[in-house]
Amino acid sequence: MLYRTAGQFKTTYEADQALFPVRQDAVLLGVILLFAWVIFPLTASEFAFQTLLIPVLIYALASLGLNILTGYAGQLSLGTGAFMGVGAYACYKMITLMPWMNPIFAILLSGFFSAGVGVMFGIPSLRIKGFYLAIATLAAQFFLVWLFEKWAWLYNYNASGAIQVPNLDIFGLYVAGPLASSTVQYYLVLGVVTLLVILCINLTRGTLGRTWKATRDMDIAAELIGINLMKSKLTAFAVSSYIVGVAGALYVFSWKGAAEPNVFDIPLSFQVLFIAIIGGLGSILGNFLGAILIVGLPVVLNLLPAAVGVPLDSALIEHLNVMIVGSLIIFFLIVEPHGLAQLWRLLREKLILWPFPY
Amino acid sequence: MKHMTRLALAAVVAGATAGASFAQELYTPNLAYRTGPFAATGIPLMNGQADYLTMLNERDGGIGGIMVNGEECETGYSTEKGVECYEKTKGQAIVTQPWSTGITLQVLPKTNVDEIPILAPGYGFSPMMDGTTFQWAFNAPAGYWDAADMIIQYLESEGSLDGKTIAFLHLDHPFGKEPLPVLEALAEEKGFELNPIPVGLKEMQNQSAQWLQIRRMRPDYVVMWGWGAMNAGAITEAVKTKFPMENFLGVWWSGHDADLALVGEEGKGYKSISWSFPNMDAPVMQDVQEYVISKGLSKTNETEMTGVFYARGLIISAIMAEGIAAAQAEFGVAEINAEQMRWGLENINMTEARIAELGLDGMVPPFSTSCADHTGHSGGWMLEWDGEKFVKASDLLTANVENYEALAAEKADEYAEANAPWPVNESCDAMN
Repeated sequence: MLYRTAGQFKTTYEADQALFPVRQDAVLLGVILLFAWVIFPLTASEFAFQTLLIPVLIYALASLGLNILTGYAGQLSLGTGAFMGVGAYACYKMITLMPWMNPIFAILLSGFFSAGVGVMFGIPSLRIKGFYLAIATLAAQFFLVWLFEKWAWLYNYNASGAIQVPNLDIFGLYVAGPLASSTVQYYLVLGVVTLLVILCINLTRGTLGRTWKATRDMDIAAELIGINLMKSKLTAFAVSSYIVGVAGALYVFSWKGAAEPNVFDIPLSFQVLFIAIIGGLGSILGNFLGAILIVGLPVVLNLLPAAVGVPLDSALIEHLNVMIVGSLIIFFLIVEPHGLAQLWRLLREKLILWPFPY
Repeated sequence: MKHMTRLALAAVVAGATAGASFAQELYTPNLAYRTGPFAATGIPLMNGQADYLTMLNERDGGIGGIMVNGEECETGYSTEKGVECYEKTKGQAIVTQPWSTGITLQVLPKTNVDEIPILAPGYGFSPMMDGTTFQWAFNAPAGYWDAADMIIQYLESEGSLDGKTIAFLHLDHPFGKEPLPVLEALAEEKGFELNPIPVGLKEMQNQSAQWLQIRRMRPDYVVMWGWGAMNAGAITEAVKTKFPMENFLGVWWSGHDADLALVGEEGKGYKSISWSFPNMDAPVMQDVQEYVISKGLSKTNETEMTGVFYARGLIISAIMAEGIAAAQAEFGVAEINAEQMRWGLENINMTEARIAELGLDGMVPPFSTSCADHTGHSGGWMLEWDGEKFVKASDLLTANVENYEALAAEKADEYAEANAPWPVNESCDAMN
């Protein structure tokens, strides 16, 4: 009823190929964008900004980057955390070497460094596949984190060995560092995420996206129909690492404010991979749903006992939290092995027919 | 997408309600870690801290007639949970305890904006001792550079260090690298050879490679800067390779009873510098027993209570309570705010008499903080494992702070410059 598509006739090819052939989709997205751009920033507390809105967006972006590589081009990567680190360290070095630089520009530029590193570690993908490639990216993970620790130039020879975000301003408005307000940080993250998501939607629907999908589904067949596998795989690595690098720069500059090398270690890679898998590989929406489940839900669950007035021990809540989120992950994967995005897709199909399914 | 909006809405509502305030209490949140890879050391520390505050609440009705709420927020030592906890508690907090180095690094730059003092007893960034630069951070009663200096002093008391070799086994992490500048300077001064041996976070439990290196090197001493699982790993490995335990020393976080209990008799002679000591005859222990343990208000157990870390937890809370009491006395209000708390922490005066009055005899060395000195440099005792428990093996050692005061000021300036605009407390210089 709410999602009825009857009466929406397509009279041109353009209309039929539009991003949202169904009007309700566009309306729904509009409502979500309204929430993200207007209602949340007006109503959210500092706590909500710092623990829910900003991290969910950043993790969703990192997962989007991984999804390009793993979900669209079929190349399994376990090095996401390290590539995020490359973005963060590149941004830090640029900002400290060239303090006059516009921070937004630096964040967007830092992705190119991780793209370069990503392509370098992507070269083995031309010869090795599947689990073997995963091992090669795992090597990148270990090597890069080791480099972040040992190469003191990267963290400006700080005594603490960690990178710290200085106060950065654009025309007097602090956008990063301790003096930046959460609202500004949120808008910066949201702006970058929106930009890159639009880019990715269009990329995955275009020629490049189709070559990636062909490579993923069967690389020999793709080669036979004239797809250049080297180009396809390396562009996937480049685009993916670019987005992951930008996510890493945002992770430190717009959220954490400081990072030590081991933050970018393998648990971060796994976390992003889990978001991509649970959200749904080969989907853009899935990254957001996955990030909400993995990053946002534990925070909400932590607040729940106090909000309903059940005094529980903080450590006990944490244990319960791990158990609940763990079982939810298993539950969702049993209900729909293709992730939350597929679950939504099915739900939408049902809604279109509801209340008269045939 | 429906899920997304619904969840986010729920989150916003929950976030708004979570900040509900409770009047008439002092809220001193503790970013505890009773879960995660470092839980074994976290639990006794947290129990000690909680028990001291419960004792004050039960015995004296709090501090200055107002209850203290040392609520714990569980981080599992993860920096992400740390942000969550900090943001959740900062509304009402008059002081915060970040606990992990990573969380401290994240919270430190925010202190000037949020204006909440950080209490990091015996950890954190050593240059925090410079109170003019780090107005809101306190690492009383002693910092890592003090520890490094005292350890070398103790070794020197066993004979000249000239020409000797010291292996510095440390966690390859900001925490482990912290004492290096001071140790390097001392090596040059005293003429010993310093060999840093890093232990990666992933190799903490399997240090056979590092100990093979130590066996080849045949150092006169091994000094350890370890934390969590690394300590037990190193101690068992030292026993296995038959390294003479009396030449093996550690920082205060490497002196956990449970790690030594694993090897028992074989660990005899292992030493750890410490600014706290579990004196079971101190009056405070009886009070804790009477007001907390016997009432069933504690999570601790008998073995844990006799350990170094539980006592350290008590001391940490005692330092915080002294800060609160000092602020209350100065400002004449019971319900102090964060800024008054900072004044209190800057004016702790733990004299021998005051320590005895608090019933902490022999559990903490005397020290005092000031506006410019946020550490206090209490000094410490060398504790030695006698096969069953830690005993004091030295008189009170005090660090030669003047050796690295300049270095601390330099590092503090560097920090302030990197984080400009960083307000500096100008009024301190006049007083000191």
